[in-house]
Amino acid sequence: MSIEKRMLARELKLAAARPGDIFKPMWFLMLVISMVPLALSPDSVLLADIGSAMIWVATLLALLLNTEHLFQSDFSDGVLEQWLLLFLDRPLAWLVGLKLIVHWLFHVVPLICITPIAGLMLSVPTDVLIALLMTLVVATPALTCFSGLGAALTLGSSRSGILGVLVMMPLFVPVVILAAGVLIRATDGSEILPLMALLGAFSLVAATLVPIAVSAAIRLNIGGSN
Amino acid sequence: MIFEPVSLNISQVSCERDDRLLFHNLSFALRSGDILRVAGPNGAGKTTLLRMIAGLFEVQDGVITIDQEPLSERRHQVLYIGHKPQVSRDLTVIDNLKFLTGFDEPVVKQALIDVGLRGYHDSLVKELSQGQGRRCALARLWCSEAPIWILDEPYTALDVTMVETLDRKINAHVAQGGLCLFTTHQLPQSLNFETLELGRVD
Repeated sequence: MSIEKRMLARELKLAAARPGDIFKPMWFLMLVISMVPLALSPDSVLLADIGSAMIWVATLLALLLNTEHLFQSDFSDGVLEQWLLLFLDRPLAWLVGLKLIVHWLFHVVPLICITPIAGLMLSVPTDVLIALLMTLVVATPALTCFSGLGAALTLGSSRSGILGVLVMMPLFVPVVILAAGVLIRATDGSEILPLMALLGAFSLVAATLVPIAVSAAIRLNIGGSN
Repeated sequence: MIFEPVSLNISQVSCERDDRLLFHNLSFALRSGDILRVAGPNGAGKTTLLRMIAGLFEVQDGVITIDQEPLSERRHQVLYIGHKPQVSRDLTVIDNLKFLTGFDEPVVKQALIDVGLRGYHDSLVKELSQGQGRRCALARLWCSEAPIWILDEPYTALDVTMVETLDRKINAHVAQGGLCLFTTHQLPQSLNFETLELGRVD
């Protein structure tokens, strides 16, 4: 069996064994969205105005919730160090990339899939909802990569979750700003393609470079641990 | 399987961690058929030494070679089982081993029978006892093709039968031309090993 097949088979089985990791962030997203009209106002004009931005931020937080411990259990079980020892003829960055892709497919895509329901709950207009979905599809690879890097950097420290998010905050900001730009333009009915292209570029650069940084962070943490 | 003769050379290796000198100018050589127990009090640097030889901890000072070649060239000849569980709690016994060894089901199943986990193939590791989990991690030895074994606390949580099984396996491995380094605080009865005492840096 090739190394990639072994990696993928393991990641898929792990995802299947931990359904809570998939559903918890979805619950979180729906909970936040259903609280907004209660806390703010049930006025559908107001909700339609701020709805898409609320959903975007809630999705970002839900994504952080399930990515902050991406490497933690493999690290504490000692399986992560076996990656370094067993798969000598593959770059670690490539294996990290595979793990990030599987994570995005199984933990982030389900989140994106339920955002239309959230959009209906906040009476977001259809064209804005479509723009929202597009920004999420294009931007979440970058967000997944960045929070994965935060998780890898803070592997060795005991309360790693929030620290990793804090470290990566500056990288989330441009993505959020670009996505908000797209949403504003979609609400106005003006051209969204240039900003979408920028968002896409952000994700592509992140997907190319972040696995290298993650693998360096993993080596660093494994070298310093017992 | 009979291994080609292999030699492991550790020369003038020193290690400092967190401003403490763990060992200084440590040199020894092992050849096919050798078993070495690395001993010493807690915190003496046993795990660090083993992780250095496995290539997980950078050698800061000194040289480690396998057959006169640098360690990084020969890492596929080393099998390292650390003191962490080495297996994922959320996966079944057989999935863990298939991932770690790359072997197909029949080979892995035989290894599980050898370590006394017959009938536990499809149990999740988190459902096993600690000793059974350890047996699962050690089952890798039964599928291993690496001549150099590095085992950190392999006897932890094992019952008498499994200790004897493991001793027999290590003896068979070195009889085939392999070599083995391990740490333990309990003395194995049926192994013929040398001891390296760490923790006497003056």
